[in-house]
Amino acid sequence: MAQLGQPLSDYQRPHQVHFSPYDFNGGTVLAIAGENYALIATDTRLSQGFSIHSRESPKTYSLSENTVLGCCGFHGDVLTLTKTLGARLQIFEKEHNKPMPTPSVAAMLSTILYYRRFFPYYTHNLVAGLDEEGKGCVYSFDPVGSYEREVYRAKGSASAMLQPLLDNQIGGKNQQGYVVQPMPLDRCIAVVKDVFTSAAERDIYTGDNILISVITKDGLKSEKFPLRKD
Amino acid sequence: MATSGMFGNGNPGALWTGGPVPGQLHNFPGVQNGATKGSSQRTLNPVVMGSSVLGIQFNGGVVIAADMLGSYGSLSKYRDCPRLLKVNDSTVIGASGDYADFQYLSNVIQQQVIDEECLNDGFGYTPKSLHCWLTRVLYNRRSQFNPLWNTYIVAGLDEDKPYLGYVDKIGMAYEAPSLASGFGAYLALPIIRDALEKKPDMALEDALRLIDRCMKLLFYRDARALNKYQVAVITKAGVDLRGPIVSDTNWEVAHMIKGYE
Amino acid sequence: MALASVCGFKLGNENSYFGLDVNGPMGVPTWDDALTISEKFTVPCDIDLQSGIYKAFTDDDSKVKIQFHHGTTTLAFRFKHGVIVAVDSRATAGPSIESQTVKKVIEINPYLLGTMAGGAADCMFWERVLARQCRIYELRNKERISVAAASKLLANIVYDYKGMGLSMGTMIVGWDKKGPGLYYVDSDGERLSGNLFSVGSGSVYAYGVLDSVYHWDLSEAEAYDLGRRAIYHATHRDAYSGGVVNLYHMKQTGWEKISQTDTTELHYQYQAEKEKAKK
Repeated sequence: MAQLGQPLSDYQRPHQVHFSPYDFNGGTVLAIAGENYALIATDTRLSQGFSIHSRESPKTYSLSENTVLGCCGFHGDVLTLTKTLGARLQIFEKEHNKPMPTPSVAAMLSTILYYRRFFPYYTHNLVAGLDEEGKGCVYSFDPVGSYEREVYRAKGSASAMLQPLLDNQIGGKNQQGYVVQPMPLDRCIAVVKDVFTSAAERDIYTGDNILISVITKDGLKSEKFPLRKD
Repeated sequence: MATSGMFGNGNPGALWTGGPVPGQLHNFPGVQNGATKGSSQRTLNPVVMGSSVLGIQFNGGVVIAADMLGSYGSLSKYRDCPRLLKVNDSTVIGASGDYADFQYLSNVIQQQVIDEECLNDGFGYTPKSLHCWLTRVLYNRRSQFNPLWNTYIVAGLDEDKPYLGYVDKIGMAYEAPSLASGFGAYLALPIIRDALEKKPDMALEDALRLIDRCMKLLFYRDARALNKYQVAVITKAGVDLRGPIVSDTNWEVAHMIKGYE
Repeated sequence: MALASVCGFKLGNENSYFGLDVNGPMGVPTWDDALTISEKFTVPCDIDLQSGIYKAFTDDDSKVKIQFHHGTTTLAFRFKHGVIVAVDSRATAGPSIESQTVKKVIEINPYLLGTMAGGAADCMFWERVLARQCRIYELRNKERISVAAASKLLANIVYDYKGMGLSMGTMIVGWDKKGPGLYYVDSDGERLSGNLFSVGSGSVYAYGVLDSVYHWDLSEAEAYDLGRRAIYHATHRDAYSGGVVNLYHMKQTGWEKISQTDTTELHYQYQAEKEKAKK
């Protein structure tokens, strides 16, 4: 650039720009493990800064018949990670002639994430599915692969709003004499709709629609529910 | 090209490296990957830049448009830069951002298209596959901290269905029925979305009129835009690359704008 | 294919003048590479990139904040009847509590335990690598690895990654031919042997309690109570610690999980004791 000429004072020359390999594209995912089902829900908004790129971009990815991944954060990393995972699962299925069980998917995702420890995927991940006994299971991850099995979990931009609500409604936290019972599916879906509607009210990165996927032994069923679109 | 591979070293590093191996030099921790190369070749400072690209799906095809300005900072340096590239009879890409990076990538794509044609196996790029490939290229270049400083919009027909895809310099990609990059995302996209909402099954003429309106608006308000643009119309019949088009502008109200002197 | 062979066309990337080296064109890893990468560690080729990457997600003005799970109080001490390990169960990412149910004692094998402080993923991953190395040692040598050797393996591994941002402070606890063993290993590559350690943000509070009560000849019950009490007091004063207290006892026969107690429960229990002492 310097050799392109003398400083021209009356117009602005191209200036050096800071390059950041990451961005944040919003989105919230939530998963709940029931007695014989697992539920995973996501909003469908894809944004960057103050602009909304897409209103039809759900952040759940079905990996196999009974495993669904919820993945949000930097969408470029999300795309790469889901692609890699998809390929690894396909290879597993061809080699072993069966889909990978959900707990194994979670363990594999953990190592895939950790192998990028020095240049992490900026993604919040949830894996929902059925375990070997047919019970619902949910695994939550940090960006570099520390993971844990949980009963309910919210991740992504509105997670700080959703999680306390879930703690109260499903976990019965800090309620004297409350007996935590497994939740029936219909009540669970109602709670999910409520918490997402509340989140869309206060989080600019959450809105448009929710896509609720329910995994049971009969397979995967999805339903859509509208949210605020502003 | 300075680097190759995901992180430049060919194969990814072994899980546990750097330990003393008999007969070999010991790599001291923290410096085992110290081979610095080619940091000067990275586009971290775009020079000649293009502004917005617009894309709209209509009933039976896609239109994509971009003006022909190559800005050098605030200078309108090159006024004849085509920023649309016809890839094949069903695919066109448009680029915002660094023009040199776009030219480099154009060369690569054109070579790939020739390679594909030589194979003569009936396969070629579809907009979907090109979009997917671009996403991988841009993501991997950003992972090497050597980005192609562009936003690409891929337009075309995929199995006779209109297709529009977006990829930016860090590999963020998505599809949508209407797309705009650069300043157009703020100025033109709301107008396009509004028009599409009112009339989802637009005819070609409607789409072209909408494009013209938006390009004019961008010329009025975006200091890095030019009133000279190209449009590509992709239908079953193939790619029709039109332009340069100059729209009629109206400056009647200009004399009334005061207070900025 | 016919046309291709007439033209001397090579399939793949060798033909294209843009596609260089062993990888696909444009530095895109080939199908094979992309998968290999997902199975292996990837480290940026360039040392100044490393700091750039680190800056990109830790800078104050960066809108992207990658926050790993962190924070802890862990402790372990040797005494007459073996080794006691006690830990809290809270994981935090920045100011937010990410989990109250973390297993911070990592069961490496029936005779080895590791604790987790610092980056949760770092500890989890490297102690799993350690578990593999220990098993391989067992298979090769037909005897269990010593605590000293196991801890040194871990220390050597993390020392190779020194300066690259790993964060981990761990205690390796076990029982071998020499009896109970306790080593402290951290991500700087430090490795110490001792009778009493506490690691993590709440360790200062835990040390206060431990030092006032600890001696070699504690009975088992006294030791259990000391472990719980020290963790409880740390969770009480340290915001980054909390949840439940997990307590393990390393014996000659291997480790045993003694208890898991909610800190709230402990709070009221200790308060009742105080009230009683007043009267």
